[in-house]
Amino acid sequence: MSETKGGVAGVQEQTRSVRELICISGLKVIFSSRSGPVRAVDSVDLAIREGERIGLIGESGSGKTVTGMAILGLLPVNAVIIGKIRYGDYDLLTAPDRTLQQIRGNEIAMISQNSGSSLNPVMKIGDQVAEPLVIHRICSVPDAHREAIRILAELGFDDPEQAATRYPHEFSGGMRERILIAIALVCRPHLIVADEPTAGLDAQVRARILKLITSQISGNRTLFLITHDLGAASYLCDRIAVMYAGEIVECGPAKDVLSLPLHPYTQGLIASLPSAGLHPIPGMSPSPASLPRGCRFCERCPAVLDRCDCDHPELVFTESGRQVRCFHYD
Amino acid sequence: MISGKYLLQRLCYSGASFIVCLTITFFLLHLMPGDYISNYLLSLSNTLPKEIVDQFREQFGLNLPLTQQYVLYLGNILHGQWGYSYAYGQPVLSMIFGKLCWSLVLLVPATILGILIGTVIGAWSGWKSGGKKDFAVFNVMIVIRAIPEFWWAIMAVMIFAFYLQWFPLGGYASISVLSTGLDFFDVLHHALLPIILMTFFIATGNYYVMRNSMIAVIGEDYITTARAKGLDERTILWRHALKNALLPMVTITTFQCAGIIMGNIFIETVFSWPGIGYLTTQALTNRDLPLLEGIFLLDSLITIGAMLVADILSSAIDPRIRMGTDE
Ligand SMILES: Nc1ncnc2c1ncn2[C@@H]1O[C@H](COP(=O)(O)OP(=O)(O)O)[C@@H](O)[C@H]1O
Ligand SMILES: [Mg+2]
Repeated sequence: MSETKGGVAGVQEQTRSVRELICISGLKVIFSSRSGPVRAVDSVDLAIREGERIGLIGESGSGKTVTGMAILGLLPVNAVIIGKIRYGDYDLLTAPDRTLQQIRGNEIAMISQNSGSSLNPVMKIGDQVAEPLVIHRICSVPDAHREAIRILAELGFDDPEQAATRYPHEFSGGMRERILIAIALVCRPHLIVADEPTAGLDAQVRARILKLITSQISGNRTLFLITHDLGAASYLCDRIAVMYAGEIVECGPAKDVLSLPLHPYTQGLIASLPSAGLHPIPGMSPSPASLPRGCRFCERCPAVLDRCDCDHPELVFTESGRQVRCFHYD
Repeated sequence: MISGKYLLQRLCYSGASFIVCLTITFFLLHLMPGDYISNYLLSLSNTLPKEIVDQFREQFGLNLPLTQQYVLYLGNILHGQWGYSYAYGQPVLSMIFGKLCWSLVLLVPATILGILIGTVIGAWSGWKSGGKKDFAVFNVMIVIRAIPEFWWAIMAVMIFAFYLQWFPLGGYASISVLSTGLDFFDVLHHALLPIILMTFFIATGNYYVMRNSMIAVIGEDYITTARAKGLDERTILWRHALKNALLPMVTITTFQCAGIIMGNIFIETVFSWPGIGYLTTQALTNRDLPLLEGIFLLDSLITIGAMLVADILSSAIDPRIRMGTDE
């Protein structure tokens, strides 16, 4: 098993052969909308290594959910998708439906955002948690229900048997988040894509959910965390990729990215945290329907150069092996 | 399920609604221009002796002030006395039930088939919305629905009964029943064409509701969750989408059942079918008030009952409603 946890330095990572579980290359997602094409995700290259916990952070609307959905092949029909997402021998973007259905839930699972509406309101919790086991033929229906109750107990339900017979509306937001986590974990998938698992939770519940995720993601299980909660990312992740207006603008070990951010946008994000004095980045991110020609952060950037306005920076490696998309590091 | 207290409360509401309906029906019908004497009796003979008119008015209490008539009427209804028809002199209730049976011969199969077909095609069409097949079905449904029911009925009679002679022109049985008695297949032969037409109409109505409902459900997050679990599209449709999409259907179809028990006036008129719809048109032209009042009252009763049933059914499907009533 490849062990990559603990923020191994970038240089070492490149020299060590780490198995890549998912390799996203040149991913573009364009939605056709009335007001023209919306470039929600643009030329994203990202490798998810086996056993690591990687975070994708960025403001809302930056394309994080769309990236996560692309991995599971769950983008709506009005999306034009270009690029490759390699998973084992498959390209997840072109794999047949049947293959994708076998992978989803079983090998790659998702904890979707909006825990409030992501559970079927007319189906019992036990059935919803047991369902992935049944459809992937991992065990019989009664065994699946036993397993569902076991995992609910593991995730902190005091009376899991009773909880299994109840409906989503009878639970609080934190409990619904746990149910979604249970659904994602129940088949013991290799990769879990967790989309904003802490959104809308109060501080205490959030802390408990974060602990829970840490305890569940161990061994060679891989986590792809999507969040705008920097605290959650720093708590959970080994590696962080920062997304801005559909692009990855910085990527590197979590410690380094958060303590010594390279990109002005990442610097701005960290300065906007309450612990750093709550200095929000002025301005708004550009609409994905009308993106600027040069650097997409140029309008809000405090360290803007002459060329930022008309040239588009590439994602480059720095000497320390981190990646950044900014002319300051050319 | 529904608690006793909640049920009692709903029953009280139902009782109150019934009294309100009864009052409105009574005054509306009595305020209608024309009456039995001028509309019907005078058409039989233009010289109507005044004594007869007076005797008629006295017999049916028409000489009393309207409010007094109302109080009498209310009392009678609450005692189960629905009155006598002006035109037939028979008890209103037994007349209505006699005709109701014939209406039900058409309506029960048409409603069941119509709801089933409409719901299934609507669910499928909504699930495939945006595709070519959905587009085709949707447009066919629009055409069926856009042209009034009686036009289709007349066309159907002309083509299938008059030219092709597959079906009789109208009525509920052949003339031979006079000697041989009613025959199941003979009645079925007469009923088939109106049943098919009504099925079409009920199906198209349900189709729209179900399709819209399904389109709304497709966009829900829990459908994405179901896909993320690895379910195939068909299982998602049947196990996750359908039950949710059916929720708004329950109330609508229950009311539909209620509404059509009162007969389908157009179809019954075109096919000379001796049902409630036909009876209603006759009672209306004759201004046969007790009969009309009886028909409308039964309609209110059934609608009020349907509301109760819809409540109970919804709570059986939707656990969120169940909790709201269980506390
Ligand atoms: N189905 C869709 N149709 C059109 N535009 C979409 C769709 N889904 C997402 N988008 C757009 O893509 C962009 C990225 O969205 P998303 O990935 O959800 O952001 P976030 O980083 O907050 O998760 C947004 O501007 C959003 O408006
Ligand atoms: Mg999102």
